[in-house]
Amino acid sequence: MSDKEASVIKVDEYIIRVDRLYTKDHEWVLIEKDKGTRVGITDYAQKSLHEIVYVEMPKVGSTVKQMETLGTVESIKAVSEVFAPLSGKIIEVNEKLVSTPELINESPYDEGWIAVIEPSALDEEIKNLLTHKEYGKLISDIIRKERE
Amino acid sequence: MRTHLYEFHKKNAKLTEFAGFEMPLWYDGIISEHLAVRESVGVFDVTHMGRYLITGRDAAKFLDKILTQNVASIKIYQGKISMICNELGGIVDDVFLFRLEEDKYLLICNAANRKKDYEWMIKHACNFSVNIMDISDNTAMFAVQGPKSLNVLHSIFNSNLSDLRFNYFKWINLDDLKIFVSRTGYTGEDGFELLLWDTPLSNPEKAYKVWEMILESGKEYNIKPCGLGARDTLRIEAGFCLYGNDINETITPLEAKLDFAIKFEKPDFIGREALLKQKTEGVKRVRVGVRSLEYGVLRSGYKILFNGKPAGEITSGTFSPLLKCGIGMGYVPPEISSPKTSINILIRGKAVRAEIAEMPFYKTTKYKKKGRIDDLQI
Repeated sequence: MSDKEASVIKVDEYIIRVDRLYTKDHEWVLIEKDKGTRVGITDYAQKSLHEIVYVEMPKVGSTVKQMETLGTVESIKAVSEVFAPLSGKIIEVNEKLVSTPELINESPYDEGWIAVIEPSALDEEIKNLLTHKEYGKLISDIIRKERE
Repeated sequence: MRTHLYEFHKKNAKLTEFAGFEMPLWYDGIISEHLAVRESVGVFDVTHMGRYLITGRDAAKFLDKILTQNVASIKIYQGKISMICNELGGIVDDVFLFRLEEDKYLLICNAANRKKDYEWMIKHACNFSVNIMDISDNTAMFAVQGPKSLNVLHSIFNSNLSDLRFNYFKWINLDDLKIFVSRTGYTGEDGFELLLWDTPLSNPEKAYKVWEMILESGKEYNIKPCGLGARDTLRIEAGFCLYGNDINETITPLEAKLDFAIKFEKPDFIGREALLKQKTEGVKRVRVGVRSLEYGVLRSGYKILFNGKPAGEITSGTFSPLLKCGIGMGYVPPEISSPKTSINILIRGKAVRAEIAEMPFYKTTKYKKKGRIDDLQI
């Protein structure tokens, strides 16, 4: 059991954590009191990419705008952009992803986090994010379309 | 289009479209399948490739006309790689040719070029007494590759395959099945390619029978079914070209460093004049291996920079599961083609440090009998 024990919902085989917010491009954001907002990509995203071999992360100190590119995650067959769920300053990046990018596959919501953003417009921008239930519905619509 | 094993692929693999075929991209994962082939054994369904029988009194003469290779010198049971070139020396396709009998040849071509090659052959056959028959839909083809491939097939066939020379084939009878087994492959490892004769697409049971026997026999060697993803990473590591990426009709075999397949001593073949001219004048660009010195994945289309200036382009690239770095191949001017030459690759606006590298990128364990390195060279 992870000591970051959190409850989940499952849509098909995809895990969605209840304790965070989501974007329609499959990023998650966890609001940590006084620490900033931690971001990463979801279980659906890591499963679609499959074996992740390289992660390009932003520089600490740089600023991002909501929905602008924050970095990229690459598998052998695909390059996927990671979009910033919120605007703000990058205050930390996950150095472990340089040598072990597969952490994102193994633990997309915990050890596989990508960056921490100090948000500049949290109260306004939070409205643009999806709740875990809304994200769950998005996933189930995608799955249904894929199966048609 | 689908091969005999479509249902197996659909059930067990992530599918992709390739040359009009619904093929497995991976079953388990590209990296695990790639490593399985390097370390033990893997099996591929390669039925999507084209297979043609060329027969008749003028079979050798006709093939000598359209191929760069010396066909007349191919012995029965032997095979050789060759190019089909156009009048300008450009590569129409890279193919493998086996001599089955005195006047009977088997030509194996890229899936993407099935129609093109067939029409090319028909077009150039008019002055020859030959018959060209497409047997692609009447045969199945599997590749068993890796250091343990001999072990896997030995228990199925009960035939001594260890004496089978690289690039040669033999016929094996398995119950009522006639199987062509060649010591060839596209991975850089020791391995075999199996052609199941008289196995129409409408009768997939025959194909399943052999496929399942291979998987069963391979269990003790942790055999993995492998998809096109691993097929690509393996062949790039081994330095092999992929038609459409590394070679096409605007590239000559001299530029692609495939000189070994051109036999200029043949007095006449399509493209000979153009190639001879280029050989005399020298090529303006040449195919090289590229290795990334920073983290990253190399991909087709990425620009190559030398001293900050554009010098070429990557034509095939990937992340090497064995070497854990980005590798690929591309074309650069001959002046900067020496291994270890420092270059940069432009990846999404960033100039990533890289170098020209020798291919194969790693030490191969290709089967070599009696010290003679057969035609299949990089």
